[in-house]
Amino acid sequence: MRALWSQWKMDMLRTVRDRRVFLLTMGMPIAFYFIFIDETNPHLSASAPLWKGYFMVSMAAFGVVGSAVNTLGVRLAAERKSGWVRWFKTTPLSPVAYALSKILTQLVLSLLIVAAIFAVAHFDQGVTLKGEKWAEILGWLWIGSIPFAALGVVIGFFGNAAQILGTLVYLTLSFLGGLWTPISTMPSPLQPVARLMPTYRFAAPAWAILENKPVAINDVLILGVYAVLFIGLAALAQKWQDARPDL
Amino acid sequence: MQACSKHYGQHVAVSDVTLRIVRGQAVALLGPNGAGKTTSLALMMGLTSPSHGSVRLLGALPASPQIHAKIGVMLQNVSVPDRLTVLESVNLFRGFYPHPLPAAEVLEMAGLEEDRRQMASRLSGGKMRRLQFALAMVGNPDVLFLDEPTVGMDVQSKRLFWEMLRQFVEDQRTLILTTHDLHEVDQIADRVVVLNRGRIVADASPEHIKMQIGGRQVSFVIQDASRTVDLRHWPDVTEVQIAGRHVILQTQNSDAVVKRLIQEDWPVSDLMITGVGLEEAFVRLTAREGEL
Repeated sequence: MRALWSQWKMDMLRTVRDRRVFLLTMGMPIAFYFIFIDETNPHLSASAPLWKGYFMVSMAAFGVVGSAVNTLGVRLAAERKSGWVRWFKTTPLSPVAYALSKILTQLVLSLLIVAAIFAVAHFDQGVTLKGEKWAEILGWLWIGSIPFAALGVVIGFFGNAAQILGTLVYLTLSFLGGLWTPISTMPSPLQPVARLMPTYRFAAPAWAILENKPVAINDVLILGVYAVLFIGLAALAQKWQDARPDL
Repeated sequence: MQACSKHYGQHVAVSDVTLRIVRGQAVALLGPNGAGKTTSLALMMGLTSPSHGSVRLLGALPASPQIHAKIGVMLQNVSVPDRLTVLESVNLFRGFYPHPLPAAEVLEMAGLEEDRRQMASRLSGGKMRRLQFALAMVGNPDVLFLDEPTVGMDVQSKRLFWEMLRQFVEDQRTLILTTHDLHEVDQIADRVVVLNRGRIVADASPEHIKMQIGGRQVSFVIQDASRTVDLRHWPDVTEVQIAGRHVILQTQNSDAVVKRLIQEDWPVSDLMITGVGLEEAFVRLTAREGEL
């Protein structure tokens, strides 16, 4: 327990100190929110107040996916490459505590990103929700980030390529999943693709909560399938890594 | 280690090694690159499990957290945690162990008090290695594993480092280190295990190993080649090579051989004494093993 606390404290410190990445992770969704919120869109202008909230949720999801897929992956790749993962294995710090520390750090990072987006939307665009709505959306974005964190772990196994791969996957998934622009405004051939994306299934329940609609069970199920797939891939990658003479 | 082997695919890193290290011993694993030193160390501290055989550390499986609380480790090719200061790194590791040493004591031991607020990743190479040693010592370990500890150290760091190790060994704690430099360890180790191609080829005191692999070569030109037959019967000479009038003797005691050559007034010229390189010594040790 003390080992976990020690590790987590230092992980948080290191995350905040990595200013470039930290600002990018926090800043990108905020910047996107400002850029696209005023975009006059014929499909959306009619429901402008709704769009502000809708796009707030999109960007919160975008930020959470980014920190999980991109930031986490790159960090894990760096730690593996530098040899600490192997070093930590010789200390009483258990692998479970190591993983928990990363998860806790990730959750706090997600909380900060979502809170920042909420604050921007609230104070700048006047988006107002009931207290429990904020909490429900945040809660879903936390739980729903599990498959993306697992995907980040998988990307972490790609060593030097992790950075490029992470960014590529993050931006592609975000665009195709309708986080930048609602899928109803996408070209029609892309729409069925968008519906397959984990990012779409991640954001859809949050949009539903926002609009007082029931959460579609399909969204949760499909995201669950992705979670199983990515966690399985992460486990396979770990097994493959263990079998290699990396000494 | 009991009859341990470790394979990576087709590659055999360690082959049927049995090794028993008693508490309080200071053991050096010596061998050329790829001899299986690092793999042996990894097996002993539970970083990897043997393909065959078994390993016990302090009476238990080496991978358990209870055992890891009692060991300190310095690995090869590992950097220090980035974006943390020296002091923060020490505190991070202190958090891992049940009974850590005070941070100030560890920093003083490694001579890093003045650098405590420095970012660990910006330290010089020698200081970084010292920090790694400090982190290995944080848990006040019973057993210390060091993989090529002096690689990347400057002369001053090296001297400080051997001083620290001597104190550790004097406390009757166990030290296991790998090296490819015999001269580096003969003051600290009381046992040297020589590995080559994944096998133990020698296991003895440093003095003994030094005799075996640190022998001398005495060469000279002799006027009368017929007398060289006698040389084979000299007690200190282990091997005689003759090419025309040119003679090369292998010996463990070059002093005695040279003394005798001069005292008996042998008609020799161009007398030369050279050491035997470690690489050559390994080849010889391995060849000898092959004969058995």
